[in-house]
Amino acid sequence: MTDVTIGQPVRRSEDERFLTGRGRYIDDINLEGQARAVVLRSVYAHARIKNIDASGALAMEGVLLVVTGEDWIAEGFGPMPTKTAIRKNRDGSELSEPPRHCLAIGRVRYVGEPVALVVAETDPIARDALDLIDVDYESLDAVTDAVEALAPDAPQLWDDIPGNLCIDFELGDREGVEKAFAEADHVITLDLENNRVTAVPIEPRGCVGSYDPETDTYLLYNSTQNVHAIRDTLAENVFGIDKEKIRHIAPDVGGGFGVKNSAYPEPPLVLYAAKKLGRPVKWINNRSESFLSDTHGRGQTSRVQLAIDNDGTFRALRTETVAGIGAYCWTIGPFTPTGGSARTQGGPYDFPVMYYRSRAVFINTGPMDPYRGAGRPEATFQTERIIEYAARQLGLDPIEIRRKNLMRPEKLPHKTSMGLNIDCGDFPKVFERTLKLADPGSFAERAEQIKTAGRRFGFAIAPYLECTGGGPKEFAGVAFGADGTVSLSVGSQSTGMGHETSMAQLLAARLGIPFERVEYHQADTDKTPIGGGHGGSRGMELGGNAVAQAAGEVIEKASGLAAHLLQSKAADLTFEGGSFKDSGSGASVSMVEVIEASFDSERLPDDLEPGCLDTGSTFERGEISIPNGCHAAAVEVDPKTGAILLLGYWVVDDFGTIINPLLADGQVMGGVAQGIGQVLTENIVFDDSGQLITGSLMDYGLPRADGVPDMVIEYYEGAPTKKNPLGVKGAGEAGCVGSLPAVVNAVLDALKEFGVVHIDIPLTSEKVWRAVQDQGAHDPKGLIEGAL
Amino acid sequence: MQDFEYQKPKTVTEAGDAFNAQSDGSFLAGGQTLIPVLKQGLAMPSGLIDLAGIEDLQGITATESTLTVGAMTTHARVAASPEVQKAIPALAGLAGGIGDPQVRNRGTLGGSLANNDPSADYPAAVLALSAVVVTDKRRIPADGFFTGMFETALDEGELITDVEFPVAERAAYAKFPNPASRYAVAGVFVARVDGAVRVAVTGAGPGVFRAAEMEAALDKDFQADALEGIAVSEADLIADIHASAGYRAHLIGVMAGRAVDAANANVGAA
Repeated sequence: MTDVTIGQPVRRSEDERFLTGRGRYIDDINLEGQARAVVLRSVYAHARIKNIDASGALAMEGVLLVVTGEDWIAEGFGPMPTKTAIRKNRDGSELSEPPRHCLAIGRVRYVGEPVALVVAETDPIARDALDLIDVDYESLDAVTDAVEALAPDAPQLWDDIPGNLCIDFELGDREGVEKAFAEADHVITLDLENNRVTAVPIEPRGCVGSYDPETDTYLLYNSTQNVHAIRDTLAENVFGIDKEKIRHIAPDVGGGFGVKNSAYPEPPLVLYAAKKLGRPVKWINNRSESFLSDTHGRGQTSRVQLAIDNDGTFRALRTETVAGIGAYCWTIGPFTPTGGSARTQGGPYDFPVMYYRSRAVFINTGPMDPYRGAGRPEATFQTERIIEYAARQLGLDPIEIRRKNLMRPEKLPHKTSMGLNIDCGDFPKVFERTLKLADPGSFAERAEQIKTAGRRFGFAIAPYLECTGGGPKEFAGVAFGADGTVSLSVGSQSTGMGHETSMAQLLAARLGIPFERVEYHQADTDKTPIGGGHGGSRGMELGGNAVAQAAGEVIEKASGLAAHLLQSKAADLTFEGGSFKDSGSGASVSMVEVIEASFDSERLPDDLEPGCLDTGSTFERGEISIPNGCHAAAVEVDPKTGAILLLGYWVVDDFGTIINPLLADGQVMGGVAQGIGQVLTENIVFDDSGQLITGSLMDYGLPRADGVPDMVIEYYEGAPTKKNPLGVKGAGEAGCVGSLPAVVNAVLDALKEFGVVHIDIPLTSEKVWRAVQDQGAHDPKGLIEGAL
Repeated sequence: MQDFEYQKPKTVTEAGDAFNAQSDGSFLAGGQTLIPVLKQGLAMPSGLIDLAGIEDLQGITATESTLTVGAMTTHARVAASPEVQKAIPALAGLAGGIGDPQVRNRGTLGGSLANNDPSADYPAAVLALSAVVVTDKRRIPADGFFTGMFETALDEGELITDVEFPVAERAAYAKFPNPASRYAVAGVFVARVDGAVRVAVTGAGPGVFRAAEMEAALDKDFQADALEGIAVSEADLIADIHASAGYRAHLIGVMAGRAVDAANANVGAA
């Protein structure tokens, strides 16, 4: 039995299960008598559906059901609405939201869009039956580029949404920025692309659903990040039933990263089929379908402008973005490129004034929804790239101008032009510590050796500032068992991050009970009344604080029983190190003994029952917290081939209080690896007709272990936030936020003797080689011109 | 995936008989291409004849002048083989750089050659080393084996049993890998065998090919400098989202130079 503390690197208790094949993922769940469902997906990016003839499929032996869009509408089911927090255009009008049904209705608008559901006795039969559904399409012109989609003559996706425009959003001080631009010594402009990528969780999406006619209730197992919110959408928006009629459970989930945050069409289709057929139905996406039907992220084209004086002082920042969000408004699709990307513009720098404008645009591609960071990596990339670019244009030292403009701690709390309330932190200290760890002064000899070998050395430092997000409330329930076990049920969710360890550690540390006694439960709508699931780096900030709050309530309840056992008054007891102590008599009783006594009728007072220590607690966040930190990267580049090798990576993060540094390290490393992947090899590419070119792992370049360097990771714990009782700031996405500019700027540093000042990501070897060939010739105002 | 019969013969003769008994049979070697193609429904054979049970197709033997590798020998085994590392270290290095560990533990020399993917690594070694592809019917010199994209001189039902590699005086392989698949975007195998230099290029064209101008230059002077000024034409090269034809042409020159340097360094080291 182990005593644990907060801040201890407790090893992950779930790993043995995961690493020995005993995880229980969606495909491990099989219900008695289940049928298998497969989705027929559109092969056109834009086409009218003239007719669907499913008679061939229905005649096939083993085929049980075919559902089309017409069937779906005839049942009266509703569309799935977006839950974006940003809903207003600049002029105050509402955003444009077309109906997003579970199946295409009369027209398809992206390759991969669900056209029909086929249910059969087995998965192979269902897949074979897809070929026997005859869909008569009339092809229409498609547009997959957001800037092109805004052009007057662009193909129109929606008859009642002119110009393909979903929302035209702005934030900040437009006039103030214009004034600063007029006054500053220089205004530096750079157009840049944040390429479209997808998360590729190791476990594809899938679900298993059943319907019980006696109770008129559904049971849905789903590989999702958010059981409560998605249950609500299915019940309230799609089926029009009470949400209690659906029990939604996520088993072990093999990675989410935002991809599994969305309300997808397949789970409601599966529930409908299960009810219609009177037997459970299972659906599992394969990898090829995942590339087409999973949500993608980033995908922004921006013009970034920095007003800067001769001495390097930042005067103002202005960003103008155009972002394709797919053909529909997905769960928070319109939010990411608007509010999500606006809030952390300017990073940890002292910008007197900022302005952000963004247009979210409908295009003939699959869905866009959050991907690890959801706007903050984009904002940080824009801010750090324009700073690096300005330094090169003006001949300033990129390290010095960052140092000069970082917000000083005495300026905090500070509310930015973007409305972000930065409460605490020490950005200069974190910056200097990162520089000290990386020690760029020591690289000279190595850089020389690398140059002798024909390659070039590069280094860059990238401070970042981000913010948490996700649902503002969280629940934690604690229930004690007579056998000594402590059941902890939390509404936040781990999709691999290790909450089974960290949440249990937090509860055990607060109560002073053995870590092993805590049994962790999550992601079941019957187990917690509310739950915000996973997203926005909210696990510790919401779930952790809920656990801490529940622990406080248990201690409060237990103190009454402890007083009874010690024959003291509760008011005279202190709780420390897992024991209640009477400050007068010095007598003490441990929490473990109190818990035991709560199940012992001999020791329980008459007015208490076994289970009297159980509690359920809802924590509500006052304000989002502000994680921040600094990344640094060292690279070598081969100018003859364009190949890039990461040599070193350093991170100092301010996540406030660290509950478990081992798990925090894992979050940082994973996020940095995904950032490296995006800027070097990952890229979603469509051809002109809207077909996905990078639809498999043969063409979509995920980062590999041999391409990710060892990382030096430290935490600055000198500024725990007062925005929540634990003082935590959220660790899940920061690795992705800082790594994009750190790696790109290091590569551009390596290429400076060739005059290369900008390359759009991903930095493929050919692009790097060509930039060297072209001696840096590039158009700083090229990409977005057509949309301004 | 369509249903098919599955057979696992013990001898080459049994394998041939099993193939002939099928209306549309297919040999299964390591399955690194065939299994994904089956899953996608792009191949629908009536039967699969799994070669994994045939001991005669396994193994590595070396004489002073020839290294013989059985067709069903995996890439991992070639990479780790002391015989290969001693006789033709470049071949061991090539095998160790194919795909990833999972691919190397399943994929085989014979499977790679019979498939003749234009981006595969082994064809470059076979062509540059002037190896002989031995089948259950005949001996096919490398120059006559690779006939086009995914095309070889193999007849219907003809089975590769071994490949005989001449031991080279100098040899090395340099490849620029596709970041996703790790197939060659441009791979160049350079070898000097019995005084003659051969340069084979894979990944860049519609199939493996020899670079005659480079061979002539290296025949005169086996140094990377000798390649300077030789422009590779992009006319017949392939282009995709990972690399244009022009970039591939450039990479062929860079990889060839690096292969020559490595070949000379290998000798120096030994």
